[in-house]
Amino acid sequence: MSGVTVGEGALRSICDRALQAVDGDQAEVVVIARNAALTRFANAAIHQNVVSREAELRVRVVRGTRVAMVTTDRLDDEGVRLVARDASDLAKITPENPTFGGLAGDRDLVPAPSAYVERTAEATPLDRARAAKQLCDAARGASLSAAGYVATNMQELAIANSLGVWAYSAATTSDAELAVLGDAGSGFAQRLSLDVRTLDIAGCAREAVDKAKAAQKPRDLAPGTYEVVLEPYAVRDLIAFLGSQLTGNAVEEGRSFVTGKLGQKVTGDVTLVDDPFDPKGLPRGFDLEGQPSQRLTLIERGVAKAVVYDSQTAYRTGQKNTGHALPPNPFQPAAPMHLRLEPGTKTREELIKESKRAVLITRFWYTRWVHQLRTIVTGMTRDGTFAIEDGEIAYPVKNFRFTQSYHDALGGTLGIGRDLSLLVPGEQFGLQVSSYRVPALRLGAFTFTGATQY
Amino acid sequence: MLGSVERDLAHRALDTARTRGATYADARFVRRAVEDVLVKNGHLQNVDRSDIFGFSVRAIADGAWGFAASPVLTADEADRVAALAVEVARASALTKREDARLAPVKPVTATYTTPVEIDPWTMRFDERLQPLLDADAAMRQAQPTLRTTRASYEIWREEKLFVSSEGADIAQTLYETGASIAAESVGNGEQQIRTYPGSGGRSQNTAGWEYALKWELAKNAPRLADEAVALLTAKQCPQDIRTSVILSSNQLMLQCHESCGHPIELDRALGTGAAFAGTSFLTPDRLGSFRFGSEHVNIAIDSTRTGGLGTFGYDDEGVPASEGWAVKDGVFVGYLMSRETAAALGKTSNGTMRADGWSRLPLIRMTNVSVMPGSAGTLEDLIADTDDGIYMDTNRSWSIDDKRLNFQFGTQLGWEIKNGKRTTMLRNPTYTGMTPEFWGSCDAVCSESEWVMWGTPNCGKGQPGQIGHTGHGAAPARFRNVRVGVVN
Repeated sequence: MSGVTVGEGALRSICDRALQAVDGDQAEVVVIARNAALTRFANAAIHQNVVSREAELRVRVVRGTRVAMVTTDRLDDEGVRLVARDASDLAKITPENPTFGGLAGDRDLVPAPSAYVERTAEATPLDRARAAKQLCDAARGASLSAAGYVATNMQELAIANSLGVWAYSAATTSDAELAVLGDAGSGFAQRLSLDVRTLDIAGCAREAVDKAKAAQKPRDLAPGTYEVVLEPYAVRDLIAFLGSQLTGNAVEEGRSFVTGKLGQKVTGDVTLVDDPFDPKGLPRGFDLEGQPSQRLTLIERGVAKAVVYDSQTAYRTGQKNTGHALPPNPFQPAAPMHLRLEPGTKTREELIKESKRAVLITRFWYTRWVHQLRTIVTGMTRDGTFAIEDGEIAYPVKNFRFTQSYHDALGGTLGIGRDLSLLVPGEQFGLQVSSYRVPALRLGAFTFTGATQY
Repeated sequence: MLGSVERDLAHRALDTARTRGATYADARFVRRAVEDVLVKNGHLQNVDRSDIFGFSVRAIADGAWGFAASPVLTADEADRVAALAVEVARASALTKREDARLAPVKPVTATYTTPVEIDPWTMRFDERLQPLLDADAAMRQAQPTLRTTRASYEIWREEKLFVSSEGADIAQTLYETGASIAAESVGNGEQQIRTYPGSGGRSQNTAGWEYALKWELAKNAPRLADEAVALLTAKQCPQDIRTSVILSSNQLMLQCHESCGHPIELDRALGTGAAFAGTSFLTPDRLGSFRFGSEHVNIAIDSTRTGGLGTFGYDDEGVPASEGWAVKDGVFVGYLMSRETAAALGKTSNGTMRADGWSRLPLIRMTNVSVMPGSAGTLEDLIADTDDGIYMDTNRSWSIDDKRLNFQFGTQLGWEIKNGKRTTMLRNPTYTGMTPEFWGSCDAVCSESEWVMWGTPNCGKGQPGQIGHTGHGAAPARFRNVRVGVVN
C-alpha cells in the first residue's frame, strides 16, 4: 500500500510492542488509523472543509477477571509503552468481574473481498471541492439551493491479542449527500462508493434536484394510517433500529422484540441478513475482537432466526460467539454491521403503480425509540413526501410526524424493491461501522400522528 | 496546563500558514483525559481511560476556509498540517460566493481553569468506584427482580491552547464530572426504565467529584428501583387527550435544549446545516420581535455561570464567555453566534464556538441555555395549584423536526394530578406540540429553589459528527392544553 496508510507491517509492530509491554494474564490491542476528509457546503458554497489524520490505540489488560482499558492517540514508541503500562496498572486495582469470560482466542479468519481503493485514499481537497461544485451547480441550474457534503475516508483496523489473534484490514469510502432546497419543498440524495472514481455525483445531483422540483408547494394531508412506499433512505432507518435489537445483549436485557421468539414469525415476509462478505457492501471478515464474523440470516421470511454475539455476551448467556463485537463497551457490545434486506422483484415504479392510495416517503428524520420492546419509534418525514393516487405520484404533501412500531410496519409488507442501495455507513467509536444495503418497500399501514406546516 | 512546547509548535504552524498565503489562521492544541466507569448488575463492567492529544489549524486563504488536524506533535507535522489547511482553503474557494469575514474580537493572553472542590484525578480509583457499587447494590436489594441495574461516572479534564494570527494566546483547563444510576425492569409485556439524576442517566457539570457526591446515588437508588418495577403494572398514560402538563426540571431542560437551544444557533438559522441538522424557524427577520413563548418564558445564554457544562473562560475562537438572553419575557431576542455568523448580522460574537477535541472544527454550540426561574414556588406548590393534569418526569424519548417546530417527547414516569394532588402513576407518558404554541402555553415556572443546572454530555452536531457538552438550567414548569398520549 501507499504512503497514505500506516500499513499492516507497521501496525503489527505497534501491536506486538504493546503486547510485550503489558503486565497481565491476557491483553488485547486495537489500533484504528484513519484519514478523514469532508467538504461541506450550504447555500451553494463550501463553508466547512476539513482533513484530519486520526489514530487510536486501545489496550485492554486482563488479570484474572480484572479488566481495564486505556486509549491513546500516540503510535510512537513512548506512547505505546505508556498506554500499555497504564492499562496494566489499572487492571491491578480494579475489582474482579466474575462475568468476564476471558479474551477470545485465535480462530481462522475467512478472507473478505478487498474494501480498499488506492485512488480514494489519495483523493485531494480539490477532488472533493470539484465534486461539491458539481452538486452546487446542478441545484443552481434549477434555481434551487444546495446543501450537503462530499467525503473521502481511509481507515485501517488492526487487532491483536496475547492468545494469538491477529487481524488487519484497510478500507476506503467516498460518499456524497445532497439536499436541494426550494422556497417550499426539498429533495435529497446520497451516494456511496469504495472507489471515488465511481462515486455517482451526477446521479446524486439529478435525483435530489428532480425530487426537489416535484416537492415544491406541498399540500396538507391529514395525519392517519396510510399505505406507504418507502425509498431506501427511509428503509435504512427501519433496518437500523430493528438491527440494533437483533443482538444477544438486547435479548439478555429483555428489550428485544425477538426475546423468546427465535424460530417464530415476528414480522412480515422479509429476509434480513448480516453479510460481512457482501462484495457490494463494505466487507470485513472479522469483528472488533479479531474474531471471524459469520454471515447470519437474522430474519428469514419474517421468522426470527438468529441474533449476533460478541465474546462476552456469548460467554454470559451460554451462546456461540458470532463475531460481531464492537469496540468493548457495556451498552452495545455487539451489532450486525453488514445488514442487507434481501431484494424482491419489483421496480420502484411498480411499487408506486400498485398503490391505489399511499404516501411516498423519501427519508425519515430524528427518529427515536418510544418503546424498544414494541419497536415503537417516532420521527419525521423529510425532503420529499408525496401522495400517491391510483398508482401515480399525485402531489407533494407536508411532512408528517409518525409514531409506529417498526416490526409491525414490516409485518404489513406488500412489496419489496428489486434494486438494493448501498447507503452511507453509521459511525461509532471513531470507526465506520453498520453498512446497509436495502431496497424500496411498500408497506400496508404506517401511522402518522402529526403534521407540519411545511 | 499546556505550555511552551505546544505554544512553539502553534506559532510555527501559524508562520507556515501565513507563508502559504493565509490571511487568518489559528492553531488549537487539545489534550483530553477521560475516565468512564460502569457497574452493571453488581459487577464492575467497564473501566475505560483515554488520553488523547493533538492539534489543528484553521485558516482563511483566498477568502475561504480550510482546516487540518493531526495527533503527531512535531515541527514537521505542524508545517504539514498548516500547509494542508491552506491547501484545503484554496480548494474551498472554488465555490466561494463572498470572502469569509470575521467579526472583531480583542486578542488576549489569558488563562482559565474550572474551579473544583475535589479533583477527581487525585483520588484513589476505589474512592470513585465505591459510590457506584453502593448504589447498584441498593437498587438490587430494593428490587431483586430488576433485569438490569447500572451505575456509572465520567470524569474529564481537557487542556486547551488557542493561538491566533491576530495575537490571541489562551490556555485553559476544563474539568467535568458526571454520575448516574439506572434501573430497568421487564415483565407484564413491558420494559421500563428509571434513571437518576438525569435523562439517559448522566448529568454532568464543569465541576469536581463534589458533583458526583451531591446526587447521593445510593440514597436515591431504592426509590428508583421501586419506580422501575411499579411502572410495569402502572396505568397506561391516557391516549390522545389535551390536558395540563407539568414537566420536571430535567425534562424541561431537554425541552429547552431541543426547541430553543438548537433553533437559536445562528449557523443553523443561516442554513449551513440544511442537509443534515436542518434549519430553524427562528430566522434573522424574527430577531427581536417574534413571540417565542408566554411572558413567563425567559431563556438565558450564559457561559459564565459556575458549574454549567457550557462554562469556560474563552470559546475556541478566543472570544470571552458572556451572558445574555435568547428569550426575554417570551420574545426571541438573541442567537448563539460565531465570529463569522455574527458578522453576517453586523454583530459581534457572544463566544459559542466549541470543537469536540483537537480533530474537529469549532462549531456554534449551546453554552448554558437555561430557562430562568419564575415565581410559582416549589414543585409541590405547582402541583397543588393544578386541578387536573399530568406531571411528567425524566426524559425517555425525544424527537423534533428539522425546523425545530414539531416535537414529541416521552418521559419515564408520569403522575395524574387531580384536585391539586398526585394520584396515580402513569407509564409510557408522551406529549407533542409545536414549539411556539407550546412555550406560549406556559403559565408557571417554579422558583429559584427548584432550579437545577443540568448538563447534557451527548449533543450531536455537524458533519463529521461532533459530540458537544451543553448546560441547561431549569425548574419545573406548567403548560396548558397540551396534546398527551401518542403511542401507536
